[in-house]
Amino acid sequence: MSEKETSPTILQFAPLNSSVDEGFWHSFSSLKLDKLGIDDSPIPITGFYGPCSHPQVSNHLTLLSESLPLDEQSSVASTSHGNRNKCPVPGILYNTNTLESFDKLDKQSLLKAEANKIWDDIQSGKALEDPAVLSRFLVISFADLKKWSFRYWFAFPALVLDPPASLVELKPASEYFSSEEAESVSAACNEWRNSDLTTDVPFFLVSVSSDSKASIRHLKDWEACQGDHHKLLFGFYDPCHLPNNPGWPLRNYLALIRARWSLETVWFFCYRESRGFADLNLSLVGQASVTLASGESAETVPNSVGWELNKGKRVPRSISLANSMDPTRLAVSAVDLNLKLMRWRALPSLDLNVLSSVKCLLLGAGTLGCQVARTLMGWGIRNITFVDYGKVAMSNPVRQSLYTFEDCVGGEFKAVAAVKSLKQIFPAMESSGVVMAIPMPGHPISSQEEDSVLADCKRLSELIESHDAVFLLTDTRESRWLPSLLCANANKIAINAALGFDSYMVMRHGAGPTSLSDDMQNLDMNKTNKQRLGCYFCNDVVAPQDSMTDRTLDQQCTVTRPGLAPIAGALAVELLVGVLQHPLGINAKGDNSSSSNGGNNDDSPLGILPHQIRSSVSQFSQITLLGQASNSCTACSETVISEYRERGNSFLLEAINHPTYLEDLTGLTELKKAANSFNLDWEDDDTDDEDVAVHM
Amino acid sequence: MNSGREVSDGRLTVEGFSVAARAFADKWKIHNQSFPPWSWVPLINRTLHLSNQQEEGYLSLEEILILSSLEESPEDESLNVATDCLEKEESVDHTILNQENEAHYYDFHIVYSSSYKVPVLYFRGYCSGGQPLSLDVIKKDLPSCSVSLLHESKWTFITQEEHPYLNRPWFKLHPCGTEDWIKLLSQSSISTGCQMPVDLYLVSWFSVVGQVVGLRIPLEMLN
Repeated sequence: MSEKETSPTILQFAPLNSSVDEGFWHSFSSLKLDKLGIDDSPIPITGFYGPCSHPQVSNHLTLLSESLPLDEQSSVASTSHGNRNKCPVPGILYNTNTLESFDKLDKQSLLKAEANKIWDDIQSGKALEDPAVLSRFLVISFADLKKWSFRYWFAFPALVLDPPASLVELKPASEYFSSEEAESVSAACNEWRNSDLTTDVPFFLVSVSSDSKASIRHLKDWEACQGDHHKLLFGFYDPCHLPNNPGWPLRNYLALIRARWSLETVWFFCYRESRGFADLNLSLVGQASVTLASGESAETVPNSVGWELNKGKRVPRSISLANSMDPTRLAVSAVDLNLKLMRWRALPSLDLNVLSSVKCLLLGAGTLGCQVARTLMGWGIRNITFVDYGKVAMSNPVRQSLYTFEDCVGGEFKAVAAVKSLKQIFPAMESSGVVMAIPMPGHPISSQEEDSVLADCKRLSELIESHDAVFLLTDTRESRWLPSLLCANANKIAINAALGFDSYMVMRHGAGPTSLSDDMQNLDMNKTNKQRLGCYFCNDVVAPQDSMTDRTLDQQCTVTRPGLAPIAGALAVELLVGVLQHPLGINAKGDNSSSSNGGNNDDSPLGILPHQIRSSVSQFSQITLLGQASNSCTACSETVISEYRERGNSFLLEAINHPTYLEDLTGLTELKKAANSFNLDWEDDDTDDEDVAVHM
Repeated sequence: MNSGREVSDGRLTVEGFSVAARAFADKWKIHNQSFPPWSWVPLINRTLHLSNQQEEGYLSLEEILILSSLEESPEDESLNVATDCLEKEESVDHTILNQENEAHYYDFHIVYSSSYKVPVLYFRGYCSGGQPLSLDVIKKDLPSCSVSLLHESKWTFITQEEHPYLNRPWFKLHPCGTEDWIKLLSQSSISTGCQMPVDLYLVSWFSVVGQVVGLRIPLEMLN
C-alpha cells in the first residue's frame, strides 16, 4: 500500500482543444468537390499536436491541409515524420451532406466506436508499439460549399475509470527531481526531442537511476526497465499549460497503464517545453492512485466521454471562410487591388471611391456602348445601365464586344444580353438593361402613339435623374436631342461620342443653364453663357431633324472603320473619369492640348480636361476643341430648358412633331433670316467685310 | 557559396535568393534566439530550369504567438461538467475555461517573386481555433511604430493576394518598390560601395520589411 495523503482529490484533467487551420478546409473542399461528391463515408485523417510550448497558452490538436489523405497535386513537400511539433495522431472525419443529417448524427455511438478502437489497441498491445493511438480523435462536420461555411465538432474520446483516479500529489518537475536528476532528465528529454525517430512519440518512460542518470525509453520497453531504476515515471507530451492540472492525454494513458500493468500507483510526468527546450518548471510530476479493475470488468470497454465544448457549451463550432474562398469575393478584391496599385504607384491623388459609386447610364448598346461598358469596368465602375431598343444581329458580335454568336441565334435584346455579358466578365457588376426607343424630334407620331412616346420620355427622364453620368452613344443625331435636353435640365454629366466613316468626335456637355445659382438669373445672359461649355447641338444652326438622307460627319452613319468605336469609346470613358476626378466636376473649364501645363495639372491629377476631341484616322490626327454654350441651342439653351420646364409634355410633343418649332423658339429662324438678308446686302454694298459675330 | 557575388541593381536571381535565404536563417538562429528559427520549405514538382543544384523554396516562420489581446483572466474554475446525455455524471472532468480565441498566431513566409526578382514577405494571422484574422485585427496587434510606418511610407503597403504555393489569400507587403529601396540601401552601405553581397541581401531587406510587421532584427545580424 503506497502512502496517501489523508484525503486525495479526484484527478481532474484539462480538456484538449482543437484548432483547424484554414488550409484544412480549403483542401477538404477541393477533395469534396473533385473526388468525393456526395459520398459521405468516413475519412481517415491525421491530427497533430505537441507539448505545450508557452507558459500562458495551451497547445491544441491541429488539423492542417496535410491532415487529409494524400493528394498528388500538392506542390509543397508534405510534412515528413520527425516534425517535433506535429506528432501525428489518427482520427476520423464524418462529414455530412446536409445540416439536418449533421444534427441527426448519433454522436454517442460514434464516440463509443472510437473509444472501442482505443480499448482494442490497449488490449492488443498496439498502443505500446505506437502510443499516439491513445489520443485518437473524432470529428463530425458539415461543409456548406455554397456559402463556404463549415460546422464541426471534435471529440477526444477518453476512457472513463470507474472509480475515478485520484491525485495524491502534483508539483513542478523541478521540485520533484533533485537538481542533478533534473539536469539529466532535461538532457535526456532534449535528446529524445531532437531525434527524428523519437520526437513525435508522445508517450514514453522516464527512468532515473540511483546515481541520478535519466534515460528515456519507449513504452514497449517497460518490462525491460523493471528493476534497474530508482524512479520510473510515465511521461507524455502535455499540451496543457496549467500548473495544477495535467492534460487530456493522461486519461487514456492511465487506462492503458491500469489494463496492461495493473499498477495502483502511477507516477506521471507532464512534459512541457519553452523555446524549444524541456522546461522542468512548467512540466509537472504527479502521483495518481488508481483502483484496479476486478475480474470481468477488466475485459469490458469502459464508458467514454470527450465531446469538445464551445465556450463552455455543448454545441458545435463553425467558421466562415467566404472571404478567402468565395470566388466572387476573390475577384472583387483582385480588381480592387489592381486599381489601388495604380493609385499607389502612379496617381496617389486618384479618388477611387467616386469611381466605385458612380452610376452610369449608357444610351445605346452597340459598338460604342459595348466599348464604353468594358472600359468603365476597367476603371472599377460597377453600376451600369443600358438603354437599347434593338436585338443582337448577326453582324454585331464582331464589332460589339459584349455579344457572342449565341446571342444572335437566340434573338436576344441587346440591353439584356449586355447585362448578362457584364456579369459573366465580373460577377460583382450591378447592371440592368432597359429595352426602349428614345423619342426623336423630326419623326412625327400619330395621336395613338402619343401616350406611349410620352411614357418613354418620362422613363428616360427618370433614368437620367437616377444616374450620375450619361453616355450618348446612339446611332443618329436626332436621338441625342432629348437626352441632351434632359441632362442639361437635370445638370447631369453627359458624354457624347459619335462616329463618321473614318473620323470620330468625343465631347462632354457643359453644365445645364440653371446650374448657376438663382441670384445669377439677373445677370446678362451672354455673360453667363460664356461660362458654360457647349453641348452637341450648340454649334448647329439647324434643329435636329430626320436624317435619313446621308449627311456629313457625325450624323447618321452605320459604316465606320472598325478601329474607331474602340478608340472613341475608350476616350469617352477617360473623359468621364477626368470629369469625375476634377474638383469642379461638370463645371470644369475646357482645356486645349496646347494649353500651358501651369495651373491645370493641379486641378486634375490625370492631366488636361478638354471639351471636345475630334480625330481623323485617315490622318491619324487628333485635336481638341473648345466651344461655348449657345443662346440659341435647341437642346441646352436657357430658352429651351425653361420652356420644357413650363410646358412639359406639350413642349415635347411639339418638338417631336414640328422640328421648325425648336428653330422658332430659339431664334434660329430669325438668325437664318438675318444671315440670308445680310448676304443680299453684301452683294449690293461695298462695306468692309466685318465679321459678323455669329453664335457658333 | 557565392559570397563573391554581389547585387547592384536591387534585384536577386532565384539562385541568389536560395543563398541569401540560408545566410539569413543562419544569422537569425545565432543572433535572434528570442524567436524560433526560420525553416526552409523546399518546393517539389517545380518545372523550372534545374541547371544548378539549388532547390527552390521559401523561408517559413510559423505560429508566432501574440498575446496582446489576451486579458489576464485567471483560470476560470467553473465546474461545468462535460457529459454526454447517456453517460454517467462525469465528475472527474474539470472543464477549465481555457483562454480560447484570445491568443493570436502569425505565420510569415519569405517567398521569391520571379516577376519582380525580389523577395516578398507574406503573412497571415489566426486565432487558436484556426479562424483567420482580418487586416484590421492584425493591425491592432502590430506595434504602433509599424502602423505609422505603413501609413507614411510610400514603399510599403499591404495587399491581400493568393499565396503562390498554398492557393489561399495571404497578406503580403507589395514588392513593387523593393528594388528601388534596396538600391538606396546598397548605395548607402559604405563598406561595399554600391554593391551588396548576396548573403546580406535578405538581412538588409528584412531590417526594413520586418519593422512593418513588428519583427525587429538585432543589429548584430547586419554585420
